[in-house]
Amino acid sequence: MLNGIIKRDGRVVMYDISKIKMAILKAMEADGKTDFAKAEEIAVNVENHFVERGANITPTVEEIQDQVEVELMKAGFDSVAKRYILYRASRNNIRERNTSLMKIFDEITFSDALNSDVKRENANVDGDTAMGTMLKYGSEGAKDYYLKFLLAPDQAQAHKDGYIHIHDFDFYALTTTCTQIDIKRLFKDGFSTGHGFLREPNDIASYSALACIAIQSNQNDQHGGQSIVNFDYGLADGVAKTYRKLYLKNIEKYCEIVECPIDYEQLKEASYDITERTGKMPALKADETYLAEELAVLEKLIGDKAIAEKAQKFALKKTESETDKATYQAMEALIHNLNTMHSRAGAQTPFSSVNYGMDTSAEGRMVMKNMLLATEAGLGHGETPIFPIQIFRVKDGINYNPGDPNYDLFQLAIKVSAKRLFPNFSFQDAPFNLASYNPDDVRTEIGYMGCRTRVVANNYDKNNEITYSRGNLSFTSINLPRLAIEAKGDEAEFYRNLKKYMDLCGKQLLDRFAIQKKKKVRNFPFLMGQGVWLGSEGLGPDDEVGEVLKHGTLSIGFIGLAETLTALYGHHHGEGEEYQAKGLEIVGFMRNVVDEMCEKTGLNFSLLATPAEGLSGRFVRMDKKRFGRIAGVTDKDYYTNSFHVPVAYQISAFDKIRLEAPYHAFTNAGHITYVELDGDVSQNLEAFEAVVRAMKEYGIGYGAINHPVDRDPVCGYNGIIGDVCPRCGRRDGEGVPLEKLQKLGLYKHLNASTLGQCGNPDEEADRIPNPLV
Amino acid sequence: MANYNPETGLVGEGVKFERIRRITGYLVGTVDRFNDAKRAEESQRVKHTVVKPVEKN
Repeated sequence: MLNGIIKRDGRVVMYDISKIKMAILKAMEADGKTDFAKAEEIAVNVENHFVERGANITPTVEEIQDQVEVELMKAGFDSVAKRYILYRASRNNIRERNTSLMKIFDEITFSDALNSDVKRENANVDGDTAMGTMLKYGSEGAKDYYLKFLLAPDQAQAHKDGYIHIHDFDFYALTTTCTQIDIKRLFKDGFSTGHGFLREPNDIASYSALACIAIQSNQNDQHGGQSIVNFDYGLADGVAKTYRKLYLKNIEKYCEIVECPIDYEQLKEASYDITERTGKMPALKADETYLAEELAVLEKLIGDKAIAEKAQKFALKKTESETDKATYQAMEALIHNLNTMHSRAGAQTPFSSVNYGMDTSAEGRMVMKNMLLATEAGLGHGETPIFPIQIFRVKDGINYNPGDPNYDLFQLAIKVSAKRLFPNFSFQDAPFNLASYNPDDVRTEIGYMGCRTRVVANNYDKNNEITYSRGNLSFTSINLPRLAIEAKGDEAEFYRNLKKYMDLCGKQLLDRFAIQKKKKVRNFPFLMGQGVWLGSEGLGPDDEVGEVLKHGTLSIGFIGLAETLTALYGHHHGEGEEYQAKGLEIVGFMRNVVDEMCEKTGLNFSLLATPAEGLSGRFVRMDKKRFGRIAGVTDKDYYTNSFHVPVAYQISAFDKIRLEAPYHAFTNAGHITYVELDGDVSQNLEAFEAVVRAMKEYGIGYGAINHPVDRDPVCGYNGIIGDVCPRCGRRDGEGVPLEKLQKLGLYKHLNASTLGQCGNPDEEADRIPNPLV
Repeated sequence: MANYNPETGLVGEGVKFERIRRITGYLVGTVDRFNDAKRAEESQRVKHTVVKPVEKN
């Protein structure tokens, strides 16, 4: 007699010999030779085999089945054994198919993204394409593996049960999140993408193309988005080079026209020679020293002082507008590129962001102006560009007030954002952003990833408290509302558990970091191989990246402060100052915990107002199941983002900003405040600006204004569309008579036979601006 | 692109309006690609007034 049997899931159940007998009989039946006595005999032999091995033996189901096969063969039932083996295999298949992973694969394969939440987990991955599906298989398979093999059991349990959420879990053992790329440094002397070497670019068009490539290459090395931290300063160099090139060409051109041709190479050489001697060059802001030196050279080359002077004048007059035009085209190309290029096996457009606003050089200003104008114009059919996220740095004395050198650009940024939702605004003067700012070091200017991630303080290396070339390593969020519900009004219990789960997150982030640390430079051919990451420039391909990764941040995030407060105290922070005080207490507590982790480890732990996309639904679904519907807590399909006042709560823009600003100071890993405006804000720029200014005055670090931006692809109307398109009068999905569109001045050159599948350039050119009434 | 139907003389049947919305900081071309929770959240967003509230004494 056996003690019991260990089932596949590890449970021990009562041993029952009749089950073995039944399985043997089924195999015999399938083979057409049922023999009850023999079946009984073989079953007893199987049992005896184990009994002989020891008194207290508890075999597994698999071991029993193996032995059944052996005994069937011994008894000469070879063909029955074969049946038995087939039967076993098919049972295994069914079992395997029923595991959650295989079910998920099934959903990925056969459901439309429209009906499958799994496939819409990330709105920028097209789950319907082959590459998107392949990416999803990999992602779900990897998650299953990490849960079962890599994570410490308590962490795996907390993640599965929805107490914590390990973000980008599919990349758990592979890479880190994001980087603020310093393109100025990257472009210096050129770089290699791993598929070829690119020389240092020589005009603004190549600068813009290479900026896109940098984002794309780095995105393939990391799991998060990518940002260019110095879009203004970085691309300004390209403008300067374009100016110089066009300027010399214009001199050549003038001389050619007045029939005093000069040798271009000689001219170029002379110009560079002056630069070498004086450090001056032809530039948007004309330099007298250079011009005087150049005039002397020109006089010699041409042999006529008057013509030399005129050539200079001509070049000075022409080159600025030509450079401006070239810059606009480069910015237009950059936006088009970033909206159409693919990364990660073609399944995703790189998540790109660019920061700018404080470069006051003529070249940097030209970059920003044209970036904003190209954004305002939109894509080929007037669509609002989705990428890159643009973040305009607002700063007193630089662009905030009339008289500031970049005030015009701040005004333009407001105008463009009121039409296109970008740029967002970051605030250098928010006390926590100002704290690390050093006007003599641009690398200390604040930078945000589009999603909100922020890195500047550096507990690992106080000499590198900078934004440039750093980023987040990984982050994990806490289900705050769950802890609040479980505390049942007991504040102390809530804080005890909060501390417990933050410690668990801290431990988990360190475990993940231990894996990340062991990676080598060759695992990140661009990020580390090309020296994009701070400190990596001195490393060889086989060096471990552990030490330089310490510049990055390990962040603990949270979701649903509003629901947490409601669960604990009956109201959220929008509903009364006493609840706001409680909210600040909770988030302040969390900040203290991460600060202590910094002290203890010497690493960069930080607190994040989590940008939850998939998570907003995941936690609440689980909590609804656990606790049922709790008013103001689990009664919606999502938990409110981080510390936000609930989106459905009526509140003025200014009150929302005032209430949310203090949380920005606590959440040093990143934060964003949104304000929702109604109607066509492009017709009310004053209101828009008032909101931006309020953000700055109240100490918001990073903010954005949401307003409806709709587009009808049929008539090209861009603005607000209710049920009916204000231009062509159709409803969503309805057709419009061709004549009606032609009366609007559209499709003029088209008739039934020429109206095809693709946009027609003539038609595009025919489109007229839309009346706004 | 305009989906012209020669039988009815209509242009644009089945073509949906694009509604650009912001989700976790990124813009998305249409709410169709939002996950269920984010769709629910987006549909409940209320607008904020820009009039300063009357100061309470």
